[in-house]
Amino acid sequence: MTAPRPYALLAEVTYRCPLHLSVLLEPCSCPQGGGYSDMHALNGELTTDEWKRVIRDAATLGVLQIGFSGGEPLARRDLAELVHAAREVSLYTNLITSGIGFDDDRISALRDAGLDSVQLSFQSDDADLADEIAGARAHRRKLDVAAKIRAAGIPLSLNFVIHRRNIDRLPEMIELSESLGAERVELANVQFYGWAFLNRAALLPTQEQVTRAREIAMEAKARLAGKIDIFYVLPDYYETWPKPCLSGWGQRYFTVNPTGDVLPCPTASSAIPDSRFENVRAHAIDWIWRESESFNRFRGTEWMPEPCRSCPQKEIDFGGCRCQAALLTGNAANTDPVCTLSPNRARVDAVLRDINSSNNHAPDWTYRVNPKTLDC
Amino acid sequence: MPIESADAVQPRLAKGVRLQTDSATGKSVLLFPEGIVELNETAQEILSRCNGRTFNEIVRALAEEYDSDVAALAADVRETLSDLRRRKLIELI
Repeated sequence: MTAPRPYALLAEVTYRCPLHLSVLLEPCSCPQGGGYSDMHALNGELTTDEWKRVIRDAATLGVLQIGFSGGEPLARRDLAELVHAAREVSLYTNLITSGIGFDDDRISALRDAGLDSVQLSFQSDDADLADEIAGARAHRRKLDVAAKIRAAGIPLSLNFVIHRRNIDRLPEMIELSESLGAERVELANVQFYGWAFLNRAALLPTQEQVTRAREIAMEAKARLAGKIDIFYVLPDYYETWPKPCLSGWGQRYFTVNPTGDVLPCPTASSAIPDSRFENVRAHAIDWIWRESESFNRFRGTEWMPEPCRSCPQKEIDFGGCRCQAALLTGNAANTDPVCTLSPNRARVDAVLRDINSSNNHAPDWTYRVNPKTLDC
Repeated sequence: MPIESADAVQPRLAKGVRLQTDSATGKSVLLFPEGIVELNETAQEILSRCNGRTFNEIVRALAEEYDSDVAALAADVRETLSDLRRRKLIELI
C-alpha cells in the first residue's frame, strides 16, 4: 500500500498537567503520569531541538497543520520557540489548552511567535459543575484566559466535552461561546477510550438527552451561521454507521508523543494492547510514516475482515475505529462494533439498553488523581 | 449581512483563516483551526480577489478576465462565498 501524504501533526509536547484530569475530559494523554512539578516527568521528553527537527521533517512530508497539545502544552517553557519553528515552515499552528498557566506575557509571546489559533477546553458553562468535573478551580480562570486571548487578537475556538452530567446545559454552553466571542465551538460528546471507557456508565447520555442535544446544536448552528461555526459530535454508540476514524489509519494524521513515539492514533497505545510504535530518535519520520509496520497495519483496505471487506462503504468509513474494535471486541482488526452490520453490534446495544433502562442511575465517576505514583 | 442583499460588501478571509499554496500539490488551500480545505479553481480565483474589492467588483474582474456573462458569474460567486461564509471561512465587511 502506497502511503499518501499526511496533512496534520498532533504534537503532544509534554505529559505534565496542572489539573486533576478526571476522565480524560481534557485533551491529555498522560499514560504514566507525572505531576505538574514532578521534574522526573521531564526525563525522556523530546528537547527543543528534537521537536524542531520533528516539525521540519513533518512539513517536508506534506504536513500543513500542527496542533500543540499534551498534557498541558503551556507547561513547556519553549512553546513559543516551537510555534515559531512551525511558522517558519508555513504550518498552521493551533494550541490546544486547558488555559491554565496562560498569562498576558505568554499570550503575547505566542502571538508574536505567529500562533494562528487557540482551542480552549471547557467542562461546562457553569463554574460549580465545571469545577467538580475538572477537579480544580479552573472555570473562572478559563473565562479570564478566553477574554485575554480575544484581547490579544488570537482567534478562539472552544471545546466543550459533553457527557451525561452536562449535556442538558448545551444552550448555556452556546450562550457562553457567544459572549466570549469564539469563532468556533466544538460540542463533542466524550469518546469512550481510556478513563472515559472505564467511566462509561456515568458518562454516556441517554437517548432522550442525545436527541434533544442534537436539535439544540442544529438550531444554534443555523442561527449562528457566519458568526460561530458550531461542530456537534454525537456519542458514536448512538450511530448506525461507524465514524470514519482519522479518515483512515495512516492516511492524513499522525501524533508524536512527548517522548518521541510516532503514533497513527493518539489513543491507540492504550487501547490496542499489542501495539508498538517507532521513535523519532531511532528512525526518520518519513520512514515511519511510509514504511513502518505500525502505520501500515491498518492502512488502506487490505487488512479488513468481513463485513467491511465486501462493503461499499469501506472507503467512506474505513471500518470505523481500531481502538473501539479493540476495546469492545478484543481485536483491533474487527469491524467497529458501532456498525449495524458488525457481528458484535449487540455489545453496543447492551450498553445502550442499560443506560436507557428506567431504573438506571448514573454512578459517580472515578477521578484520575494527578498521577505521581498511580498508573492511569 | 447576507450577500444577497448587499452587493457592496467586501468579502475577506475570516480571522484565523490562511490562504496558502500547498507545496505538495501546487494547489491553493485554506487553513483554519483543525481544518484544511483544498480549493477548486473557481474558489481560488474568487478568494484571490477578496482583497478589499466589493462583491460587485470581484464579479466584474472575473467577468473581464474570463469574458463571461456577469449574471451567471454573479450567481456562482454568490454561491461560493455563501458556502465559505457559512463555514466561517470568510467574513463580510
